[in-house]
Amino acid sequence: MAGTIVADTLTHSTAGSIATNYVVEGSAKAWVQLNGSTFAIAGSFNVSSADDNGTGDYDINYTNSMNTNTYAVPAGCNGDGSGYNRAISINAVATGSHDIITFITDTANIKSDLDIISTAIHGDLA
Amino acid sequence: MQTPDFKGTHLFDRLCWAKKHLEPVQSDYRAVFEDSVDECAKILVPDPNWMACALQGGILPPVWVYHELAKDEAQPDFKKHTRGYLLHETEPMPAMTEEEAIEYLIMKDIPQSVWQNWDEGNRPKMVICKKEQLPATRTWRNAWRISDELNLAA
Repeated sequence: MAGTIVADTLTHSTAGSIATNYVVEGSAKAWVQLNGSTFAIAGSFNVSSADDNGTGDYDINYTNSMNTNTYAVPAGCNGDGSGYNRAISINAVATGSHDIITFITDTANIKSDLDIISTAIHGDLA
Repeated sequence: MQTPDFKGTHLFDRLCWAKKHLEPVQSDYRAVFEDSVDECAKILVPDPNWMACALQGGILPPVWVYHELAKDEAQPDFKKHTRGYLLHETEPMPAMTEEEAIEYLIMKDIPQSVWQNWDEGNRPKMVICKKEQLPATRTWRNAWRISDELNLAA
């Protein structure tokens, strides 16, 4: 097929080889960066929408669903101007979406809208 | 730009094509909904890359495909999807207007219990509005409800 390379292994001239299934299975299947303070989507892939559920509580909905709900959801966050430590938590996971919560950790862990919220998903697509 | 004939092409591959060739479209539309009397109003924001796909046509599957997958996932013995092929092998949707895309997105990403009978209660459970109609700041965000003003403006 035009534009397609079929290969089971990639080999570097000095650094060794890697099976291509590591590349296929290891790639992020979706990612998004949100601004929780303005609730705008700054950048994304394989995301259909985001839900603002309230302060520090957001759903991410996918265009191409995942095969199971046992996929991995790395996430990170930063910035609300308070100077407090911040954290992000995965609240719920379904094959078509996941729910994340952001909060500041120095004030009884209250939910907080943060300026940068990044999350991705790794696993098998439906 | 003409969309390639994507019928039978994996949806993920179509999204890769779209990411490379289509400019993201920031929609001003928002869907505000209440799916619990105990919780504040929620706001659905369309993804700009998804909106570009919807307006382009020939990329996204029909919304009923997602409903079928949701039915499968709701089964008590659900472990993994066995009908994921519906996403990839169903004839893609033609180009939509922005308004049609919002309707599609509501049916895809908002619970059916909200949009199926959104105006049958004492007050509407959902409103489509413009971003500018929402409060300018997030003060008292957890107390936001669908207001009469917002309802009339929808």
